[in-house]
Amino acid sequence: MSHRKMALCLSIIPGLGQWYNRQWAKGVLFLVFAASFLTAFADLFNMGFWGIVTLGTEVQRDNSIFLLAEGIIAVIVALFGLAFYCFNLWDAYKSGERRDRGDRLNTLKEEYHQLVEQGYPYVVSSPAFFLLVFSVIFPVLFSFALAFTNYDLYHTPPAKLVDWVGFDTFLKIFTVDIWRSTFFDVLSWTVIWTLVASTLQVAAGILLAVIVNQKDLRLKKLYRTIFVLPWAVPGFVTILVFAGLFNDSFGAINHTILAALGIDPIPWMTDEHWTRVALILMQGWLGFPYVFVVTTGVLQSIPEELYEAATIDGASMFAKFRYITLPMVLLAMAPIIITQFTFNFNNFNIIYLFNGGGPAVPGSTAGGTDILVSWIYKLTMQSSQYALAAALTILLSLFVMGIALWQFRRTNSFKEGV
Amino acid sequence: MRSSVRSKKFLRLFVSYAILTFVAVAIIYPLLWTIGASLNPGNSLISTTLIPKKPTLDHYRELFAGKESLLYERWYWNSMKISFFTMLGSVISVSFTAYAFSRFRFKGRKNALTLFLLLQMVPQFSALIALFVLAQMLGMLNSHWLLILLYIGGQIPMNTYLMKGYMDSIPRDLDESAKIDGASNTRIFFQILLPLSKPMIAVVAMNGFTGPLGDFVLSSAILRTPDAYTLPIGLYNLVNEVMGASYTTFAAGALLISIPVAIVFLMLQRNFVSGLTLGGIKG
Amino acid sequence: MMRSISKHLALMSVMAFSLSLAACGPKENANQGSRAGENKESNGKVELVVWEDIQKSAGIKDAIAQFEKENNVTVKIIEKPYAKQIEDLRLDGPAGTGPDVLTMPSDQIGTAVTEGLIKELNVEEDIQSIYTEAAMQSQKVNNKVYGLPKAVETTMLYYNKDLISEEELPKTLEEWYEYSKKVTDGKKFGFLALFDQIYYAQSVMSAYGGYIFGKDENGNYNPNDIGLNNAGAVEGAKMIQKFYKERLFPSGMIGEQGINVLESLFTEGKAAAIISGPWNIEPFTKAGINFGVTKLPALQNGKNMSAFIGVKSYNVSAYSKHPDLAEKLVIFLANEENSKKRYEVTKEVPAVKALADDPVVKNSEAARAVAEQSQFSEMIPNIPEMNEVWKPADSALQTIATGKADPKAALDQAVKTIKGQIKAKHSGK
Repeated sequence: MSHRKMALCLSIIPGLGQWYNRQWAKGVLFLVFAASFLTAFADLFNMGFWGIVTLGTEVQRDNSIFLLAEGIIAVIVALFGLAFYCFNLWDAYKSGERRDRGDRLNTLKEEYHQLVEQGYPYVVSSPAFFLLVFSVIFPVLFSFALAFTNYDLYHTPPAKLVDWVGFDTFLKIFTVDIWRSTFFDVLSWTVIWTLVASTLQVAAGILLAVIVNQKDLRLKKLYRTIFVLPWAVPGFVTILVFAGLFNDSFGAINHTILAALGIDPIPWMTDEHWTRVALILMQGWLGFPYVFVVTTGVLQSIPEELYEAATIDGASMFAKFRYITLPMVLLAMAPIIITQFTFNFNNFNIIYLFNGGGPAVPGSTAGGTDILVSWIYKLTMQSSQYALAAALTILLSLFVMGIALWQFRRTNSFKEGV
Repeated sequence: MRSSVRSKKFLRLFVSYAILTFVAVAIIYPLLWTIGASLNPGNSLISTTLIPKKPTLDHYRELFAGKESLLYERWYWNSMKISFFTMLGSVISVSFTAYAFSRFRFKGRKNALTLFLLLQMVPQFSALIALFVLAQMLGMLNSHWLLILLYIGGQIPMNTYLMKGYMDSIPRDLDESAKIDGASNTRIFFQILLPLSKPMIAVVAMNGFTGPLGDFVLSSAILRTPDAYTLPIGLYNLVNEVMGASYTTFAAGALLISIPVAIVFLMLQRNFVSGLTLGGIKG
Repeated sequence: MMRSISKHLALMSVMAFSLSLAACGPKENANQGSRAGENKESNGKVELVVWEDIQKSAGIKDAIAQFEKENNVTVKIIEKPYAKQIEDLRLDGPAGTGPDVLTMPSDQIGTAVTEGLIKELNVEEDIQSIYTEAAMQSQKVNNKVYGLPKAVETTMLYYNKDLISEEELPKTLEEWYEYSKKVTDGKKFGFLALFDQIYYAQSVMSAYGGYIFGKDENGNYNPNDIGLNNAGAVEGAKMIQKFYKERLFPSGMIGEQGINVLESLFTEGKAAAIISGPWNIEPFTKAGINFGVTKLPALQNGKNMSAFIGVKSYNVSAYSKHPDLAEKLVIFLANEENSKKRYEVTKEVPAVKALADDPVVKNSEAARAVAEQSQFSEMIPNIPEMNEVWKPADSALQTIATGKADPKAALDQAVKTIKGQIKAKHSGK
């Protein structure tokens, strides 16, 4: 039997294969790691795997939702273990292969250097990856799993157990009238909101940055300081303040500003179209400083020679903006612009805090300005429709992800070297 | 000919100033109004005027009166701590990760980038229970450190995406020539890429600092007792209580949060603008 | 070659892993004990946790001290808004960080029982009998007792004595309408109420014959019988719409911010009278307003405006590790003596029958107003289906208030939505 096969087989118990290859220290390391991993997480695996399959068997004792979460954590931890285990097998095999070829084996120190050199990107990004797994991917998996259960008011621990029900909840979304109609209402406004609000804040940010950046403009510093103020005040504060300012009868906007201009009061809070306008304007106010700051940074880096050359060619101001500034800025800012869109897609705070998703519209279970996240929030917090909310989350996320992927692929902004 | 150039310039500057002034007023007005509100007697935002008739510091006093349901000072420091460490952790983890994605070609890179992009789009509300269970399993309910880690993790996809994009615009010849000179990866990162990425680091830092100050949903799932609360939870409860909501006290409390944010901003401001003079943008 | 190796690798690792996971599941109930949270015993004493309403813990301090001494326990009080305690209990309960005793509004009891969050109490008939019939009824689901009443509240009429004297007070809503028409000028208002919310609007609609859920012969609510769009309800809604249409109610008072607008207009002396609950007695007194309170006005058809009776209660968490002790504490806190003490501090009107004649309560205008209004009032249905009523009903009233919809159409729509939601969410029972 060749060394590589022998080492591979022995490595079923981590470390043995390494010992076979006479890598003593490494073998001990592997064995100790594997043993401590198993002992440390034995309970978690035990409860977790049992829990995620059964979701509990005894009312009162078992809390299905806690078991589900534990189960998912167990699966994640197990995957990490599995990854290590595969690495162990692969390592034993590779070392065995070298021995078969008669090559010298690396010492531990060399291996360490090799790891740092070749695995560099993995090493430096692994802490971030760990954090990401537990703070983002784990919750996403949890929602995903929830969508396939019957978790709602009448199936709530501790009174009842939750069960796996497959695609039932998804079916409900499309067969029950109330959900279906609301679903499409919310979806269309969410899309409009995301597109218009994001475009406004990006456009305003770029435009203002370009204006302030004009060479012969004075008070640059003052303007720059003022324009970042909206960023410096926490958003939820500003939104609540604006909610007061926009009040139909008593807010300063109708009461003072529009009255001074001789314009009749506008039903900002009670007509959903006006509420939408107010929301978009407000998001512009809140969101432009960020784009403004970054654009200002980018503008500094556009080589002066380009403009000089253009001036010699007799290009107009707008031509310069159109053909030099804008393409440069957009190119450098593509990722930022994308994040503005994704941010607004999930911009819960502004919708919820400004008018609670209202005003009410006849015949809909969501408010006139509810976007996906705020509707889902209401479904879970106010009517205990957990499974339904989770299923909606999945559907709409898939929808948006689809669009995003298609769009980015198409515009090439996703290609290397953006 | 000459006068037309001049009048054109005049027109351009005139329009510029007009726009800038308009925007500046639109920004300052609500802020001044908030200040006015915080000095106004009574509880309501609705009836306040820009310049209060009978200004009072009562609402500020109330914040620090040490009432059991309004531990403002405590929450303030909690928030500062959480914001500061989130900022620090975010900058460190994001810049390392972005460096890896920008400068190395490795297996899974492209998929990871796509994943980062898509993860930004999944709302996490229905999963608050999951994070709660995680906290409970770790015995870290009410732990600020866990919350900090969750915030950092949550900011990774978006910020890495930004930072990677920025680093891509820094010419590779710089680090390649350093590599030929025998510099290690880490050294290249610290001595070449980091200094050049200052503007984006400042942005990430700012996001890291302000992010926790805008969240009351995730934090209220993890922090269960009033003495562990952050300012957003505390202040949100202040206005959300149907009975006895106090908008004016809220305004006072809110203004005081803006001070540290403004300080952090001023410290970072230099970096936003300068920095990228060396490289220029890759076309 | 490479491919077959990776296949082998995968297969072997899966096998090895499943070996190590052979025995799964909770071993014994002992396992549960450690998971359900550490026993909160410090220096041998049992510790109970009580979640009290915000800014109300002063009212039970003495009683708690006494209870601690008598039973050799320590009791920790944490303040949380009473209407949100159920949300926290869902998480804190199973995590072992929850309370033993908590407080909640009676309309949440049905939901809490359905979810199994609160425990049935074993209280004797003679203890139950010290509370008013209606208040006790609100604590029962299927004739089992789940809590004891702590306080009752109804809405009432607040009037500003500087603007209108007690003698001048219009007796009926129609007279208030005329009065408002006289005094309203866009800055000052006569009579105001949050009629865009079913909680307040039901006062009018119910007096005309509208109802939320009908009752079957056993007195249980029938969620299939909804009377929010019957002729009476529509008539009431038309009455409501008049106030908005004629701009007697400002449109800025509609929606999320309504309550804030309403309260500040009254505080600033810009409204002669408003409908609100007893929770505003203290803030209005503190704001130095010269105000009085009384029952709600009557209607032209001779009936008095009704109100919802809200009952706040003490309940025992299903997760309590010392349920017997917790139950004892609930009974103790809700007894006559402690209810009286609590009233003296917090001014929340207790539901103890005997206290209605007690001078301390009797001489208070507010308590009298609540007592008087209670005669014309109804309970908030405490079945879980009630959750589906609030939003659609509020939405309908909002569209009626903004004039976007005709009362009949809006209410029909609301009932349709409510029925649809009940069918969608509550058929899984």
